[in-house]
Amino acid sequence: MSDPFKPRPAFAPWDRRELPGLFDVEESARRVGAYKWIEMRLFEALGGWIATVPELDVKMILGRHCYHHAWHAELFDKRLPELREMNTDRLCAPANDAMEAFVEALHEPDAPELTIEKLVGVFRVLMPRKIAAYTFHLNGTSRVTDAPTQRSLEFILQDEWNDWREGEMLLQSLIDTPEELERAIRRQHELEALVVRAGGITGPGTIGTTTEVEGAGV
Amino acid sequence: MRKQLPPEMLARDSRFVRTSIMDQILDPRNRKISERTIGPAKLAPGRPASADRARNLMHGIFTGEIQALEGAGRTMFDFDETEAPFALKLDMARQCWDEARHVEISIKLGEWMGTEIGEFTEATFLYEAACAPDPVLRLCGVNRALEGLAIDVFNTMKEFGDVSGDPVLEFCEDWMLADEVTHVKMGSDWLRRLTADDPERLERALDFQRTVDKLFSLGGFRGETDENPVHLARKLREMAGFSTTEIDEIAELSELARAEGKAAVEAAGSA
Amino acid sequence: MTIVSIVPEQFTLVEFDAERVKAIAAEVAKSVAFPSDVDIHIEVDEVLPAPLNSSQADYLEGRADLWFTGGAFEDTHKGRNIDEVLTRCGLGASLLRVKDRISGGFEDAPNDSEISERQRALWDAYADGRLTRIEGFVIREPRRRYVYRLECGFNDVADAAYDQLWASDATTWADLLEIEARLIEADPTERGAKPSVRRISLRQTQ
Ligand SMILES: [Fe+2]
Ligand SMILES: [Fe+2]
Repeated sequence: MSDPFKPRPAFAPWDRRELPGLFDVEESARRVGAYKWIEMRLFEALGGWIATVPELDVKMILGRHCYHHAWHAELFDKRLPELREMNTDRLCAPANDAMEAFVEALHEPDAPELTIEKLVGVFRVLMPRKIAAYTFHLNGTSRVTDAPTQRSLEFILQDEWNDWREGEMLLQSLIDTPEELERAIRRQHELEALVVRAGGITGPGTIGTTTEVEGAGV
Repeated sequence: MRKQLPPEMLARDSRFVRTSIMDQILDPRNRKISERTIGPAKLAPGRPASADRARNLMHGIFTGEIQALEGAGRTMFDFDETEAPFALKLDMARQCWDEARHVEISIKLGEWMGTEIGEFTEATFLYEAACAPDPVLRLCGVNRALEGLAIDVFNTMKEFGDVSGDPVLEFCEDWMLADEVTHVKMGSDWLRRLTADDPERLERALDFQRTVDKLFSLGGFRGETDENPVHLARKLREMAGFSTTEIDEIAELSELARAEGKAAVEAAGSA
Repeated sequence: MTIVSIVPEQFTLVEFDAERVKAIAAEVAKSVAFPSDVDIHIEVDEVLPAPLNSSQADYLEGRADLWFTGGAFEDTHKGRNIDEVLTRCGLGASLLRVKDRISGGFEDAPNDSEISERQRALWDAYADGRLTRIEGFVIREPRRRYVYRLECGFNDVADAAYDQLWASDATTWADLLEIEARLIEADPTERGAKPSVRRISLRQTQ
């Protein structure tokens, strides 16, 4: 048996975590605040829509997903004070006006005939954007200093993948005719345009900036 | 999406048929039935037509679960955080998930009992309690009154499953009961928190709850005697945070509702 | 030629048309090959609504004596209105059971007011099973199965007996009693152990 008092490396050979990460405390807090804001707007919308969709399976799935996003908001809310933001409401805000306009448009459909429009906004526009933003944060932040955010993001991303897949399958099952397909595409186009203007859910640079490389594209 | 969705706008597929409580009250058969002695009204396997009565009640539970799901969802959306704090919204979201599961359970249980979705009509008076403009009133109407009724109904159905030896019914009701107790407790806790500095608001909310409780007793539907199909589940209500005085008050309200229901039937009959 | 009579001849509490019920009964009698020399008398207790669904079918003084609660014919979506599909099935099962009493192996069966709920559930499964094989009847089999299980037990022996009765075209009252004995043995609940008791009937409430 080896000597338990013999010094060992502080990090195991397979532990490749590195310092520093892409974000300082302030930037990480700003992003987490924006995440909480968008999760809240999402779970409120899903909650409100439950009563407006006639499809029973969609109704029940919205009820389940609604709680998932509320839990995500709760995880982000708990993380904010640890990121030196004691007033968790201050950073719980949209990244910019364009983001706010996007959410307003996302919430808009009301009529029972508009389930496709409601679901496209959530599953074909917002959730892919969230998955992108969270993945960027997970990959870019320091896995040493920002580990609590990363841990939450890993749980949350698991939910997001599962829920996105379920939502996408719902949409595929609802889109039958060329007219319905047209509605879905039109809706996605309208909302995508707004998110593009916002630069993603935390504003420009949500998933980093691509620096021009000399000769790229040639 | 509009705030405050009225009951007539609840979205349903073509299987569902809406009924109005007035149609039921004004049914000319009511008076004649009240003159008959058809044995104890309590829902139990040994009573006449118990299978169809249980199937009918179970379908009522199913539509009630849909409305509870919708009501909790609307409370999240209809109010901003100054009216409904973040933590309350989180509780409502949790309730949405629970109620969505209850809808799933009710559908599967309905299938087990040989009932089709939409086989019986749907009344929306449960959702109507979720339309109050003050979130505290909603919590009292939905979480304390409606969910309290759910405890009574589930307990009665659980006993029904137990006595009849139906393993599926008893299993399902047991699980749903567990959730409903936490929903009622949620309502009681939030009522205290949101009205801590506002005794008038508390009184308004409790008053609303009394109105809803009386409405839910539906002319004697729920009570403590063999004349009531569904029985007050005292022990479970205590677990959910109701005091003995509050339970006594519901029992009195139920008795009052029974008497008023009878009078209404007689009045409708002589009109 | 079968003569159909009905009480009441004019419904006052529900929107049923007595003549229409009689016409349906005449059609159903043909469909189930009910003996044409036996008259049919139908009594509907219009006071009792759905879900207080109940019926009795006896062979008394040379005629089919059928009794139903209004609920047994009532449209569950439109209260106080008739559901013709349900009415056909209710009449069909009742007429098959009277046919059983006349010459189908149930000649020695007691009247409906005297048989137990369990015996009735067994007989109903046998009647509905046959109806599904005759054109023009839409039976809700899952409902029948649940009513049956509630009376006969939630166990494999009861389920096997149900399947046997459902598929059968020739069961007798003696067979039914033999099945009942098997069920009592298999049912671990208090109800199973108890001798067959006839509970209070809705018909007695008139
Ligand atoms: Fe529930
Ligand atoms: Fe509940």
